Amino acid sequence: MHIPFRVVFEQRGESPRRLSVLVPLVSVFAALFFGALFLLATGHSPIDTYSNMFQDGFASFNGITDTLALSTVLICTGISAAFAFQMNLYNIGGEGQLYLGLIGVAWAGIALGDHLPTLLMVPIVLLCGALAGAAWIFIPAFVRSRLGTSEIVSTLLLTYIGASLIKHVIYTPGSFFRNPNTSFPQGRMVADSASLDSFGSSRLYPTFFVALIIAGALYWVVKQTEFGYRINVISDSPRAAHYAGINSRRTTMWVMLISGALSGLAGAMLIVGPYGKIEPSIITLGYGYAGIVVAALARNNLGLIIVSGILFSGLRVGGNNLQVTTDTPIHIGVMLQGAILLFALGGEAFRRYHVHVVRVHEVSTKKAAA
Amino acid sequence: MNENIWVLMSGDAIAIATTLILAALGALFTERSGVLNLGIEGILLTAAISSFLAADASGSVWLGLVVGMLIGAVMASIHAVLSVVFRANQIVAGLALVIFGTGLANYLGKPAEGKTVSTVIKPLSFGPLSDIPVIGPIVFGQDIVTYFAIALAIAASRYLFRTRPGLELRATGDDPATVDAQGLSVARIRIRYTMVGGALVGLGGSWLMLAQSAGWHQAATTNGLGWIALALVVFAGWRPIRIIFGAVLFGFTLQLPFTLQAEQITFIPSAFLEMLPYLATLIALIALSRPGSRNLLGAPRALGTPFVRDER
Repeated sequence: MHIPFRVVFEQRGESPRRLSVLVPLVSVFAALFFGALFLLATGHSPIDTYSNMFQDGFASFNGITDTLALSTVLICTGISAAFAFQMNLYNIGGEGQLYLGLIGVAWAGIALGDHLPTLLMVPIVLLCGALAGAAWIFIPAFVRSRLGTSEIVSTLLLTYIGASLIKHVIYTPGSFFRNPNTSFPQGRMVADSASLDSFGSSRLYPTFFVALIIAGALYWVVKQTEFGYRINVISDSPRAAHYAGINSRRTTMWVMLISGALSGLAGAMLIVGPYGKIEPSIITLGYGYAGIVVAALARNNLGLIIVSGILFSGLRVGGNNLQVTTDTPIHIGVMLQGAILLFALGGEAFRRYHVHVVRVHEVSTKKAAA
Repeated sequence: MNENIWVLMSGDAIAIATTLILAALGALFTERSGVLNLGIEGILLTAAISSFLAADASGSVWLGLVVGMLIGAVMASIHAVLSVVFRANQIVAGLALVIFGTGLANYLGKPAEGKTVSTVIKPLSFGPLSDIPVIGPIVFGQDIVTYFAIALAIAASRYLFRTRPGLELRATGDDPATVDAQGLSVARIRIRYTMVGGALVGLGGSWLMLAQSAGWHQAATTNGLGWIALALVVFAGWRPIRIIFGAVLFGFTLQLPFTLQAEQITFIPSAFLEMLPYLATLIALIALSRPGSRNLLGAPRALGTPFVRDER
């Protein structure tokens, strides 16, 4: 078989700035276009679906506040993923660290009781959630930095173990985390001082600003501190880092622990904010996995994650309301997330390389055949 | 103690191992060519629901299996194009495939929720052989896909280590530059085996649906089997025969909670039993990456790195 064309990728010296904006935008639209074709093919109206999603996700008071509320979690899991990814450490078990965050914050929120003022209590319980998330990544981080064990598989396996743990603490009769007053298995509410009130009639909690501050702070850490410098050197060239005397084991360890803590924090914010208790259904929502998409779309740039986090929250909020407004299955939202990421990955090639198609003459193959 | 239930369990463990063998073989072929496809879980799910819909509409399990394989190959081709042609980050591409596949499968599965498939794959009957106590149900009580999966793993081992194309495949994963110098197309080999791998994963997903679960339970249909399959490849050191043993071992740990529950052995919390296969994989993974045992692994050297001729 002879193909008369060849696609040639020529590395760009410096990719033009406009492309770093254009490529993600085009990817989003290409994915939406693909989604529209798919909706048409399965007998749903793309216009109805998209206008409903947009309306419910971005264009109403409830839509905007719900989107920002959800983005609180996705920004946290997003920076959790990105912080590790930028050093080529693929912590894809943010989901499991989030579960442990739930357990950590619920433990502190119940055990400490109603003795401290909210202003002191909330930071303490959030910290406990973050520590639990960090603890959950400790083994993967340790074996990754010592033995080189793939953190991809190990963090993921721990997610499944974490899910069983959540079910265990809620479904076991007499469990500390279970509401003792109901026969139906439910989480026990944390102390009042450990939960926050939302703004007015919205479902948006002050934790949103905590997420923004953390994103900003980590951005600063990466760009301005010596620790951030070490991360950059190791990710650019592990060998250079070695010769520069950088202890990459220790940096690996810290980066992974911080990544785990951020996912734990995301879980903690769910309890301090909307839930108030461990809700087993959280393990079906996949916020930890969504963080990976958010990070990848922002190309691990901690500032851009705020934008991609809000965009993705909007897609989800809009998608979830589809059940109410149309007969389109809500899963189109998740599917579009995946599609956007796939298109963005393909588009990335056009940013990094000069792509052109050249004609290949048939002579060479004919000669070879003869 | 009821002996029957343990026999049943062994049969079930081998049965569940079928999906694992097929999915892990698919991942193995892909990885041997140097491509890391983390999207196995997404492919399993899409293939499972496609086979459900196809088998339900046509009344033929075989058509279901074929459709599942095709969908598996198509899904894998997305990954192949992104990682081989566009040189995207293979880890992120694989994860994107999981998210996309999960969404797609749940979307397509919406009408199938709560229904059971109208036709299922039945175990083969070996007449009197199947009635032999203990051995009968375990060895002679499986369906044709299970036997096929085991035969395929053995054939794959011969193919990889004893044939010319197998050598080319291994070389592509270990040292693509040499393959390129031989005048072979690294890109073509990688795309081909990524798609073949996807088809095998697809077969595993379809079989899981048509012989095991027989109903669509969203992501719980596969419940992380795709990720276990990926760990299994590491566990097996990228060798097909070891995959059979690993898969049976994992099949047992997956099946154990149900058996103990049926036996009313409750002093071990069921949540712990649920964790067991994942815990076992994790421990195996860590144990195998100890410096002394690392050479047992034999990962393809160019795994996950795109091949660029100009940059050599």
